[in-house]
Amino acid sequence: MTATAPNSFRRAAGRHTVQEDPMTVRDAAAALPRLEVTALSKTYGSGGSAKCVIEDLTFTVNTGEVVCIVGPSGVGKTTLLKCLAGLQPVTSGAAAIDGRKIDGPPAEMALVFQDYNRSLMPWLTVRKNIRLPLRHLRLQAAELNQRIDTALEAVGLTHAANQYPWQLSGGMQQRVAIARALAYRPEILIMDEPFASVDAQTRFELEDLCLKIRDDFGMTILVVTHDIDEAVYLSDRVVVLGAKPARVLDVVDIDLPAPRDQISSRALKEFADQRTNVLSMIRKPA
Amino acid sequence: MKTQIKPAAVGALGIAGALLLWQYLATGPMNGSALPAPGHAIAELAALLATGTFWADLADTILIALGGLAISAVAGIAAGLLIGSFAPVRYATMAVLEFLKPIPPIVVLPLVVLVLGPTAQMSWVLVVIGCALPIVMQTVAGVHDTDPVARDTARSYGMGHAEILLRVTLPGAMPFIGTAMRVAAPAALVVAVVAGLLGGGPGLGQSIYQAQAAGDFPVLYALVLVLGLLGLVFQGATRLAERRLLHWHESYREVVL
Repeated sequence: MTATAPNSFRRAAGRHTVQEDPMTVRDAAAALPRLEVTALSKTYGSGGSAKCVIEDLTFTVNTGEVVCIVGPSGVGKTTLLKCLAGLQPVTSGAAAIDGRKIDGPPAEMALVFQDYNRSLMPWLTVRKNIRLPLRHLRLQAAELNQRIDTALEAVGLTHAANQYPWQLSGGMQQRVAIARALAYRPEILIMDEPFASVDAQTRFELEDLCLKIRDDFGMTILVVTHDIDEAVYLSDRVVVLGAKPARVLDVVDIDLPAPRDQISSRALKEFADQRTNVLSMIRKPA
Repeated sequence: MKTQIKPAAVGALGIAGALLLWQYLATGPMNGSALPAPGHAIAELAALLATGTFWADLADTILIALGGLAISAVAGIAAGLLIGSFAPVRYATMAVLEFLKPIPPIVVLPLVVLVLGPTAQMSWVLVVIGCALPIVMQTVAGVHDTDPVARDTARSYGMGHAEILLRVTLPGAMPFIGTAMRVAAPAALVVAVVAGLLGGGPGLGQSIYQAQAAGDFPVLYALVLVLGLLGLVFQGATRLAERRLLHWHESYREVVL
């Protein structure tokens, strides 16, 4: 099972009964770098007006890990995610999944955009929004419906299936976007400041949802955030970026005990230490 | 205060006022001219309704207008999606389209009559010439107005070009297309009538021409009344269709929260 953890997860998730102890999945797979970013650079324009947004970025995300990318605002985090998602070509260097270079949207990846209200289609109901990216997978009707139901249940929106996104609150819309990603059954989930525009209570709920889907579905999750507390709470590792152009200042291992809890984890001394550690790196003048 | 106004009642008042003005003009300042009194025209209309040729003409006009509109919509939306989505297609076509845009269909009418004669095909072609271009232009504008985040979302989920075009770009452009159709529907009717009136194509336009040539002005105005009513029906139908199709759009949403 060791080498095939992602595949066995896929099959298990297809039956909606994840039998493996999630911790075992993670431990067994911990040695496998799923996503590798190597000397990635991104420059917009050319010649005198060229603007280097990302310079020589290197880090890895292992299977089953939650990794957060933090850094000062405007550092090019969204550009980085677009490169990883295959939506934008890199200027030099590479991003790879399992050693395969990313040169277009990878099939095993889903992306949750920061602008959830723009990434959901207003002409489709919640259910149809979730179904939209599944259509080209040509699933059988029974599996299609089951996937949608499971995803809706995971984000607690079963009751809103037939409503339109614009009839929902911001937090609910973001949960629809997450449900859509879940139903797609990606092995790698990338989220761009996913909880930036929701209230504090919803934010805590969505953070815990993020950890829960990692545990339940064995997903590898990469989150861009500007919130240091959130990064420390969610992450197995935090990639700290410096401005400008973006480059890796440090990769911090976060070894808070699992499962994490919004109240007790945040009260730990390690939490405060790591938070201070990351924050001081970001605040330090380059 | 505003809530006490009943739209239907005020609308009926407006119609009554227009009829009164007509009555005044026909019997007063314009007495003895070609303008018949409204009662006279309406009586002629009632008589027309009993004839088979009137209904055949009406059917011809509606068929030409709706058929031409349908062809324009299908071709115009397809062309607009391609032009809006692919830059090379845009560069290749936009100059030509912008050049053609200000040319009204009346201007090309003699040419089309010359080629096709006073036939139904001629009328169809003219309606398409009049309607397709604005639909193309509006569709292009609609495509450019679709949210790049929505398209990026679709791409990130591995949806193909054709599927994105059909399921994301097209619905995203619908508000613009809806406006184009609302403008094009009455225009299609106008062109269908003009093609009969000036080009000799079948339908109500030709009937109006014949009534005019025969000096039968009450019949002429009865036909004009029919056109007006037809225009109202077209406008109402497109509005209704737009409301149903775009119920999700900001301007049509019924807030449920």
